[in-house]
Amino acid sequence: MKTNRVITILFFLLLVLIPLDFFLIFKVAPTEKVMGDVQRIFYLHVSIASGALLAFTGVFLSSILFLWTKKIAWDIAACTSAEIGVLLSTLVLITGSIWARPVWNVWWTWDPRLLTTLILWFIYVGYFLLRSGIADKFRKAQYSAVIGIIGFIDIPIVRYATKWWKSIHPLLTQNGGGLNPVMKKVMLFSITTFVVITIFLFFFRFRLARIEERLQILKKKMED
Amino acid sequence: MKFMGHAISILRKDILLEIRGRESLSLMLFLSLLLLVIFNFALDIDIDNVSSLASGILWVIFVFSGILGMGRTSMAERDEEAYLSIVFSPVSAESFYIGKVLSNLLFLLIMECFTLLFFAILFDFEKIISLLPQLLPALFLGTLGFSLVGTLFSFLTSASRYGEVLLPFLYLPVVVPVILGGVTSMDIILNDKVGGADKWIQLLAVFDVLYFAISLILFRYIIEE
Repeated sequence: MKTNRVITILFFLLLVLIPLDFFLIFKVAPTEKVMGDVQRIFYLHVSIASGALLAFTGVFLSSILFLWTKKIAWDIAACTSAEIGVLLSTLVLITGSIWARPVWNVWWTWDPRLLTTLILWFIYVGYFLLRSGIADKFRKAQYSAVIGIIGFIDIPIVRYATKWWKSIHPLLTQNGGGLNPVMKKVMLFSITTFVVITIFLFFFRFRLARIEERLQILKKKMED
Repeated sequence: MKFMGHAISILRKDILLEIRGRESLSLMLFLSLLLLVIFNFALDIDIDNVSSLASGILWVIFVFSGILGMGRTSMAERDEEAYLSIVFSPVSAESFYIGKVLSNLLFLLIMECFTLLFFAILFDFEKIISLLPQLLPALFLGTLGFSLVGTLFSFLTSASRYGEVLLPFLYLPVVVPVILGGVTSMDIILNDKVGGADKWIQLLAVFDVLYFAISLILFRYIIEE
């Protein structure tokens, strides 16, 4: 029941954090000189990306712990984190595109950072494809842990390779200089909010998955 | 020594199976030839653009034919759980993995040589054969990277009810760095472009070492039940 308490605390915390975050983004943060109001999506974009990174780190660590301990709870934790990671990285790609259209005049550019995010997304969608194709619970956990580990380690390699590749071609875009101090504070607040959202989603989904698992065991017992 | 001896035995077994059954290599060769024909229509290849298109076309063919071949060899192991007889024998998981990597590497290299030869003949591009000594390091290291990751992933996906169909979905995103290294270094060499092909080759070697280390550790978890 400890999980329930964590979920309740996080829920009430988010009731304060989310409205405050939106207030700061739309009312307190100054409007960017060149990009105008559209720049405000940046606060969400970067924060969601931080949440996604946290979730994928969760997949990686839970996968290692599963292979080490063979406890199915770690597999549930890895799968839960992967679900949140895929959701958040999809949002990262969408918000990035919405921002890029008015600012760079394109929906998409083959920038190393974008490319790495897209590949990360592909890897974790593949993770779920694999899971859906294996019936045996333990085997499913074992195999997806392998993907969870290799996928995470592959990301810096992809990042490095694409950066190297792009260094041959002219860079299409360059990020602007430092942020204004107020903007920086809003950004940090927004990142904190989304980290809390990610943790909340994790516990919420984790509890649900545990209940599902328990239900399945009970059903099986009844059938026997 | 025993470790490598076991790996060589696995390689020998796969060669023997291939000679008797002709299940994977012949399919790979046929697909690569077919893809060359399709690319000819799709990209309208002629003497002017062949040089700039060559590396991209060839690596796409290597990747897809490779996926087909590696998928087949793993399915053969999964058929009637044949691989379990190796798991229960004194052969270690690491030897098993290295043996499978070597056999996949061998079949992929044969397929690539065949594809290069037919590319040179069909598109009148003999330059690629004369430049082969320079292309060889990138070709070998890229193929080794394919084989290192492909062996692990093809074993993984063959246990799924989707079978080989799932392999490209998992495998392609992970080997993007290898494809990038292979295509770019080959393009630099074929078109005398500036920008270090040798740097890419070094990078490919680093990727291979990383993939080897990760896959060697993880392969055990795929075959253990």
